[in-house]
Parts: sequence; C-alpha cells; structure tokens
Amino acid sequence: MLQKREKVLLLKTFQGRTLRIVREHYLRPSVPCNSPLCSQPTVCLNDGKLLSSDVTHYMIPDWKVVQDYFEILEFPELKGIIFMQTACQAVQHQRGRRQYNKLRNLLKDARHDCVPFANEFLQDCYLPREQGESMEKWQTRSIYSAAVWYYHHCQDRMPVIVVTEDEEAVQQYGSETEGVFVISFKNYLDNFWPDLKAAHELCDSILQSRRERENERQESHRKEYPEHLPLEVLEAGIKSGRYIQGILKVNKHRAQIEAFARLQGASSKDSGRVVGILQKNWRDYVVTFPSKEEVQSQGKNAQKILVTPWDYRIPKIRISTQQAEALQDFRVVVRIDSWESTSMYPNGHFVRVLGRIGDLEGEIATILVENSISVAPFSEAQMCEMPVNTPENPWKVSPEEERERKDLRKTHLVFSIDPKGCEDVDDTLSVRTLSNGNLELGVHIADVTHFVAPNSYSDIEARTRATTYYLADRRYDMLPSILSADLCSLLGGVDRYAVSVLWELDKTSYEIKKVWYGRTIIRSAYKLFYEAAQELLDGNFSVIDDIPEFRDLDEKSRQAKLEELVWAVRKLTDIARHVRAKRHGALELEGVEVRIQLDEKKNICDLIPKQPLEVHETVAECMILANHWVAKKIWESFPHQALLRQHPPPHQEFFSELRECAKAKGFFIDTRSNKTLADSLDNANDPSDPIVNRLLRSMATHAMSNALYFSTGSCAEEEFHHYGLALDKYTHFTSPIRRYSDIIVHRLLMAAISKDKKMESKENLFSNKDLEELCRHINNRNRAAQRSQKRSTELFQCMYFKDKDQETEDRCISDGVIYSMRTNGVLVFIPRFGIKGAAYLKNKDGLVISCGPDSHSEWKPGSLQRFQNKITSTTTGGESVTFHLFDHVTVRISVQASRCHSDTIRLEIISNKPYMIPDTELFHQSSLLLKSDLVKEVTRSVEEAQLAQEVKVNVIQEDCEKYCQTKGRSLYTLLEEIRDLALLDVSNSHGI
Amino acid sequence: MAGLELLSDQGYRVDGRRAGELRKIQARMGVFAQADGSAYIEQGNTKALAVVYGPHEIRGSRARALPDRALVNCQYSSATFSTGERKRRPHGDRKSCEMGLQLRQTFEAAILTQLHPRSQIDIYVQVLQADGGTYAACVNAATLAVLDAGVPMRDFVCACSAGFVDGTPLADLSHVEEAAGGPQLALALLPASGQIALLEMDARLHEDHLEQVLEAAARAARDVHALLDRVVRQHVREASVLLGD
Repeated sequence: MLQKREKVLLLKTFQGRTLRIVREHYLRPSVPCNSPLCSQPTVCLNDGKLLSSDVTHYMIPDWKVVQDYFEILEFPELKGIIFMQTACQAVQHQRGRRQYNKLRNLLKDARHDCVPFANEFLQDCYLPREQGESMEKWQTRSIYSAAVWYYHHCQDRMPVIVVTEDEEAVQQYGSETEGVFVISFKNYLDNFWPDLKAAHELCDSILQSRRERENERQESHRKEYPEHLPLEVLEAGIKSGRYIQGILKVNKHRAQIEAFARLQGASSKDSGRVVGILQKNWRDYVVTFPSKEEVQSQGKNAQKILVTPWDYRIPKIRISTQQAEALQDFRVVVRIDSWESTSMYPNGHFVRVLGRIGDLEGEIATILVENSISVAPFSEAQMCEMPVNTPENPWKVSPEEERERKDLRKTHLVFSIDPKGCEDVDDTLSVRTLSNGNLELGVHIADVTHFVAPNSYSDIEARTRATTYYLADRRYDMLPSILSADLCSLLGGVDRYAVSVLWELDKTSYEIKKVWYGRTIIRSAYKLFYEAAQELLDGNFSVIDDIPEFRDLDEKSRQAKLEELVWAVRKLTDIARHVRAKRHGALELEGVEVRIQLDEKKNICDLIPKQPLEVHETVAECMILANHWVAKKIWESFPHQALLRQHPPPHQEFFSELRECAKAKGFFIDTRSNKTLADSLDNANDPSDPIVNRLLRSMATHAMSNALYFSTGSCAEEEFHHYGLALDKYTHFTSPIRRYSDIIVHRLLMAAISKDKKMESKENLFSNKDLEELCRHINNRNRAAQRSQKRSTELFQCMYFKDKDQETEDRCISDGVIYSMRTNGVLVFIPRFGIKGAAYLKNKDGLVISCGPDSHSEWKPGSLQRFQNKITSTTTGGESVTFHLFDHVTVRISVQASRCHSDTIRLEIISNKPYMIPDTELFHQSSLLLKSDLVKEVTRSVEEAQLAQEVKVNVIQEDCEKYCQTKGRSLYTLLEEIRDLALLDVSNSHGI
Repeated sequence: MAGLELLSDQGYRVDGRRAGELRKIQARMGVFAQADGSAYIEQGNTKALAVVYGPHEIRGSRARALPDRALVNCQYSSATFSTGERKRRPHGDRKSCEMGLQLRQTFEAAILTQLHPRSQIDIYVQVLQADGGTYAACVNAATLAVLDAGVPMRDFVCACSAGFVDGTPLADLSHVEEAAGGPQLALALLPASGQIALLEMDARLHEDHLEQVLEAAARAARDVHALLDRVVRQHVREASVLLGD
C-alpha cells in the first residue's frame, strides 16, 4: 500500500510572481535494495544486478561527491557503490543530461559493481525537507539516513561508508551510528585505495581545477565571448523558427576560421553565428604539454598550463597541475570541465598518461583514444563465461544440441576457402545433388550466438567494441580468442556449430526453388586456401600435395575424394557466375590485388599483388547471396525491427569532378545508374597508364555515400536499397566473429525461425528505437575503426620516412601522379607507397616552382594560374611550366614533424618528368607490398630501440607476437572491407 | 534543468509510483442534501464534485424533450483556484463545453435513459483542483453521484487516463506527466461488460502501441471500479444503518 505525501514547491514565474506547486509523492513499504545480504528478499524483490558479495564495505557517495568525482567512481576497481536516488536527482538537476546519462549508463553496466537505491520512495527512508532547511543540507541528511537504513537492512553485517565533501556532515554524523562511517572523499581514497595511483592523481587534478574555478569566479573578468543563451530560450527559439538547430562540423584544416553546421532539411548556405549549445560532444582528448622553453614564456604562473590537443579542431586547454615538467615528453589524456565566457580557453583536468611522444606504442594509444576506442584486455568475468577447450578437457558437441540441430556431418561435403594461414574461419560452403536431381547450395556460418548469450558480459563487451579493430600492425579482437580462433572458427576436421542457409536450385537454370535457414552441426572436410582452390578449378591437380587433408590417404580414396571436391568447387563457381549475372549493375570499385601470406610464426612474410582469382569472386558471391536472403527473411519476419545495411545512391553533382577528369583523358563516364557507371569505369582504361583507371575509380568511390546499418522500422522500404551491390535488401550475416551487427542478425534470424515454428521466441529482440540507437553506435564504431586504421597506416608511413636522409636515400624519391588541382598546388598520388598528398607549387615566401631545361625544379618569384585540368606556373622571368591532370612527376617525400600533432607526409615536386626507376621489377610492385614492408621495418626499428633500452632476451619473442599479429582473414572479408573503405573518404582531401 | 525523466531506469515515475499504479483515490457519496445525488472524489490532487438532479420534467423549451428516452444534460466547470495560477474561467468557454459534451456522451451510454422518456437528468461537475486526469475524475465523481441519485444505470462508468513513455504505458497521469507532452488517452469503461463508453486521444501514437496503452487504461479503470464499488457499498451500509434505526 502506498502512502501519499505532498511536496510543495515554490517557483518563480517569468513575471516574477511566486507560484505554489503541490506535487504528490508516494512512498512504498519496500524498494529493491540490490544487496546479496538483504534480510527480506521476499519483500525487496531484487531483480537485475546485485552488488557483489566479496566487498569489505559498501560505499555511498554524497550528492556532491557524485557530481565532482564521478570519473573516479567510474573506476572498475571501486566496488560496492550505492548511488542514492537523492544524489542521482541532484546530478540530473544540476549537471544536466549528459552527466546524468553517464551515471545511468554506469548503473546499467553489468561490469561495474554499483547499484541504485530509490531512498526517496521508501517509507522508512524518506525525510521531508524541513522549513528553512537548505537543499544541500536536506540532500546530505537524506543520504545519511538512507545509509543508516541500508546498514540495518543488511543486518549490520556490512559496514557502510558515506563519503562526503561536507565537513559539517562529517562532524555531525561521523559517530552517530555504529557501522556507518562518514568520511571525506580524499580520506576514503587514502584509507581504502592507497594503491590506486590513477585515482589519486585524478582526484588531485579535479580538486585543483575546482579550486581554480572558484578563484576565477571571485575575480570578475572581462567577457571574452558573448554568453550562450540558456536552454529554455534556445528551445523556444527553435520552435518559433528564430534559431536553427544543426550539428557543427569544424573544418579540419582551418579550424580557427571555418566551420559548417549540418542542418536538418535546410539546404541554403547562409552564414550564421552560434547562439547556444543544445548538446555538447565532449570526449577524452589527447594533449601534449608545452616544452620547457614554452612554459617559461607562458609566465610565472606555472600551475596553469595551456596544453595543445592532438586534434586540430580543439582549442588549447588550460590545465592546473604540478606535474607539467614531468609530463613534457608524454602524450596525456585530459578532459574538459568547463569553459567560462570570461576565458579564452576551456578548463580541464589531467586524466592519465598514454606514452612517450614519438614512441610507437604511445602514438597508437593516441590514435585509439582519439577515436574513442577502448581495448582493455578481456576481464575475468568475461573469460569465466567462455566454454573450455583444453587437451585434458576437450569441448564436445552436447547431446541436446545434437537433437535440436540439423546434422550435416555425414550428409554434406563442407569446406572453407580462405587465405593461407587464416585462423578465424567464419564461413564454409557446401554443394550437393539432391535425390530429385536439383542442386543444394549451402553457406554455413559460425554460430557465435550459441556461445555469446544476449546481455552476458562478453555480449556487452562485444557490443561496446562493435567490431574487430585492425590497425596497420595489430588487431584488437571483438571476442576472446577462445571463440574467435577456436570454438567458433569452422576449422577442418572438427565438429562445429553453425547457422546455415541452404538453397535448393534448379539443376539447369539455377533458379532458387526453396530456401532453408537453421542451426546445424557441421564438420568441415577441407580448409582450402584460395590459390589451391583456383588450381583445382583450373584442372591442375598438382596442388593436392599442399592440401593437408589429402596427405595421409592412399591413392585410390584420394582420387575419389579429389574428384568429389573438384566437382563441388566447379559447381560452386558455376552457380556463382549465374547469381552474379542476375545482379545487374554491381560496382567493382577497387579491385583487390594482394595476397597475404603468413609463415609459421604468423608473421606476414609476403604480400603478393595478384589479379583477383575467380575463386575469390565465387566465395564473395555466395556470401552476398547468403546476406541477401537472410536480409529478406528477417525483414519479412520483423518488418519494424530488422537490422539491414543500406547504401544510398550518390548525389549526381558529386560526380562532376570525376566526369571532368575523365574528359581530360578522353573518356566518358556515364553516372546515371550503378550499371552504367560500372560499365563506363571498365571502359575508361588507358593502356599506357594503368594508374589512370585506378584514380578514376577512387574518385568514383569518393563521390559515394557510406553504406550504413539501420533499423527497418525507421526507414521507408524504398530506402533499403544497396547501391554498390545492386540489391534491394542487404545485411551482414557472414562474419559474426568480427562484427557485432552479424551477431544481431543471427539473433534476428533465430527469432524469425522460431516465429515460423509458432514457438515463443526466447530471444529478447531490440525494439526499433533501441536497434536504431545500436545501429548508430555500430556505424560510429565502424567509422572509428576505419579512421584508426587509416591513421595507423599514416603513422607507419611517417615513421618509415622519418629518419631517412632525404637527399641520399633512394626511396624518398618517387614517381607520382597528379590527380587533382588546387589554387596553390596539386594533389599527388604515389602508387609505389599508396600515399596521397598535396604538393605545393607556391611556397610560403610566395615563390613559385619552375622547371629548367633539365626538368629539375627551382623556386622563383612568379605567379600561378589554375584551370580546370591544368595549372601553370609562370616566373617573372617568363619561364612557365604546366602540370596537367594525370601527369607523372618526380616527388621527394619528407616528413613534417610535429610535436603536438601527428607527423604528416610532405611532398615536394623536384622534377616534372616521371621518375625513372633503374630496377623495373620494383616498379611493378604494388603499393600494398611496400606497405607491409614498411610496417615490418618500422616495428623492427622500434623493437631494436626497445632492446637497446632493456636488455632482455625474452622480450623479442613477446614483441614478435605482439607486433606481428596475424592478419589472417578471408579474402571476402578483406574485399568487403576495402569496399567499405573505398566508400569512405580515401583521397584524404588536403586543403591547400 | 534537463528534461524531466518521467520513467526512471528503475521503473519509478516522478511521484514514486510504478507504471501501472493509480494515484490515491478517496471518494464520498451524498455530500449535499439538497441535490438528488452528489459525490466528491479525490484522485491524487485532482478533486471533483458532482451533483445530479433528476429525472425531472424538461426545463426550458419543451421542444428539447425526447419522446423515447431521457435527456442527459451535463455541465462542467472548474474553480478559479483549481490550478496553480488563479484564472477566471467563464461558463460556456470551449474547453468546458467540450468536456460537458464528452460527459454527456459517456453517460448517455451508461444511464438507462429509455426508462424515463420525455424527462431530463442534469449532471453538474465542478473541478476544485486540477492535477491531471480531470476527465477521469469527473466521470468517476458523476458515476457516484448518479448512483446516489438512484438513477438506473447499466453499470458503473469508470474512467482513467493512460500515457506512453519510452515504450511503457503509464496509468493515471498526473499533471507533470501530462504537461510533458506525450500522448494521453482517456478511457471510460463499463467494467462488467468491458464495453467502452468513451475513448479519446488527441496525440499521435503508433498503431502498434495503441493496444498496450488501451490495455493499461482498461486495467486502471477496473482498479478504479473496485474502489468505487467499495465506496458505494460503504455508503449503502451507512444509509441502511440510519434507516434501520
């Protein structure tokens, strides 16, 4: 039975009158206490997360502590935290939505040991505010009395510590109740977590920055910026149309002077002024402290230091710290606290150190933090959920699963085709003839969802990561390796769970007659690699010695088995050709031309450029087919909450640059549809210069929009279309080991199957709103993954060229192709290294480039003239040189070092003639070959440097494993990735 | 202050109720001796007074009389002091006219009007304090008053409102929840038969959700019925004790 109380609020209206508002407040006899020590579990009805039982005390932060030290409370080491409702509400009212959402997410996060407690709704805890009592006092009093109740509720078995910043409260309540202690936060950290250094540092820096802020508030400053409008005014203004709401995008290259606001709906380009902020997008920032000389120039006040963020778009941040000198050579993470209108710069506080400037590990960590990627090792709780598979205790197929799943182990010839040495095999194929003469094609995907239960720790972790991150030299897995490399990986000769799609095809026309989806058990017979499969396809059987499965067979059975396999591969290829022919207008944007080869130690020992084999296409086509059919299935079953992938058609005006460039070479590009675009790109091939076609394709991809995940409930059906693949519905189903979206799709498919069987679905599906939110998260993480991959590649490029003497080193001079014109320079692509960058024709002193008779360039006074397809530089002496689109020039590559930001590659044209390479073989090597070389070289030098520092022999071995992680993935996934990547901004638009 | 959180992650509403819980209801019948029937109800802080006269002869123009059934005349008004800011509300403004019409429709469906042809039944409702769910409070008060007057009805008419926040239907919205601007549905139910006397909603709500909101409102209306039933029985017991003496 609820008890009714009334709360009286006195509010002031805009006219200045006082308004008396009476609100009801209901109290209940019990609320969930979420403690395992609960004395009346039948009354409390705890469900959801409980505090862990192995803590020594419970900690209850006061409202002020929650507001100010929230970041420290977020530390996973701090356990047994109870957030009182009073404190949560204080955060909501005083710190705004952003901080409150952080708190909500923390409370929801199963990995963090903290619970909410609704003290204000509990009869025994609620204290009405007394006449004349200040809000702050009342909040502290409520929290203390709730703490006392909680202590007694747990039968006095667990000491409770109330942590407060209010000295009076410590005095007043400190010794009032036995077992309930009231201490200050600093005291608490000192006594209970003396070893948690990071927390202490953070606490100091928060304290200091708060003190600064208070000081500042006392001094009255001149206003540097006009004050932003309050939220209510903004909301009213937006409603009335006086203000326009948009998302601010700051120009990366001219951050101080140029920013665009992306508006919803409106397309007019007006200039405007930011009048207020509805929602801030603050994150952690990587910064660099100024060097010693700069510190001195900043004046005597050495406690306040301006640090420079790594991101060009972020202004300098003012930090209060005494460690400035010690942190000079490090990359450091800071957070912004506030930005007063009286201050030029925002105030922040120091959070943690990442690593030394210029050090590979530090720089990689920088890239990760800047993209908000967190890659902590998998926690113990997650590993505990994992199934066991050791030699003593091998994993087996369980009998229950055997009953429920379709058993394909005896009936189907299942095999996988992947790059050599790949260890996470998520897809396998099968094809066979049915008794009625029809064919049956099967795609079998690793059943990850069987091992990863929804909302388990590993599921939450995988959802947070959303994808496996591949950097230039390493990868960060989405799932623990016991799953990704072992139990979920469909290796040859072992029983594995799979989710299969089986199609019945007509024997001659390959029309799809029937399709079956479901869970299966398979045993992959062969783990082929691409080249071997291609050889089999071509009828060259000498490769069978390379296939381990054939080795131990006698001649006769080997022959029979071989024939069976060859038939299957051929049939598969045949089917794939037909399926592909039916899909008109798919774009082949940038062909894959690498083969990754790994040696026994999983080092990348070779990357051989190669024309794509037909087998690649076959496998890819089967995967696309499976994805397409699964997309159809889940959309039919759940029209409002299926996760699909769309690729909207590009805007025609974006193609104008492509068309103009192609015209310069005499080609015509028809961009009206994906089919015509694909055809005309195929035709635009200059036999004398293969790079032209490559550049045109990359321009085409530049014009494309990104492919995105979305929830079908939030989009009209026409918008589901996938432009690049020319399919009406598409999703990702085939790589659940490395993409979270696929895990969701698997769950949807399983729910769709049980829906068909009229069974109550066990799975708790996401609603459209939640799914939309999740899609946004996954898309966002995918972009972060791509950005960090690109960034890390650039990092390696820079490290490769950094210490080379430009004048003497041969490799710093290379051939480049001009692919775009700018007002003061050209954009150059260097095929040998795959680098794109700007080369200036006019330097900072206003001199322009000129090329003498020997074609070597010099800087002379003069002027530049830019046309559509060429740029002419004329010196005052009358000499002129013209650079055309697609001209080959010789460039020198150098690195522009930067202390606070990432290093950048600088290109300088040293001759307007193509660079002649003595060794012709080198010329043919693809850029990617050198990229892997480059990664190896850089990691090697880093290792050497480390070795020199710490002379330990075993370090080498570790490093070897650490830096040379496998890149083994199926080529299909690689192709998919490059397709995705291609849809992103590849030709990094260097603003000149 | 950030936007109010109407339903917390722990499942509590602003005033501490859970999604399906009603506000506290208190009611009394027979509060005025002069009228044929009267009742007073408090639903949370919403307070309403209902008075019933009739059935009696048609007042005013005879032409209004219906040959086969009684005329139900409903008038709604709200006190100047019913909201936070004092505001004069003249009779016959659009809002009270609309409310009167809705009440009339509701009670024409519930009262057995054909038993009293060519006569009139007057229902006057006044809201003394408005804190959300005024329609529901008016209907519930009027039901008690009609019962008090002894006018034959098919069944109780029990009304309750329901809203929809974050995928969860909320029963019996308070003023704070109403003011947040989400969809609100008002339902008047004849609980025994489950028939709907009146259903009103003037916001956009996805078709898929309508059923669950309706379900929540109906469940709340049944809860209201249980309470009103207890009030009526109590009143009858008291009255019979008085008569018996």
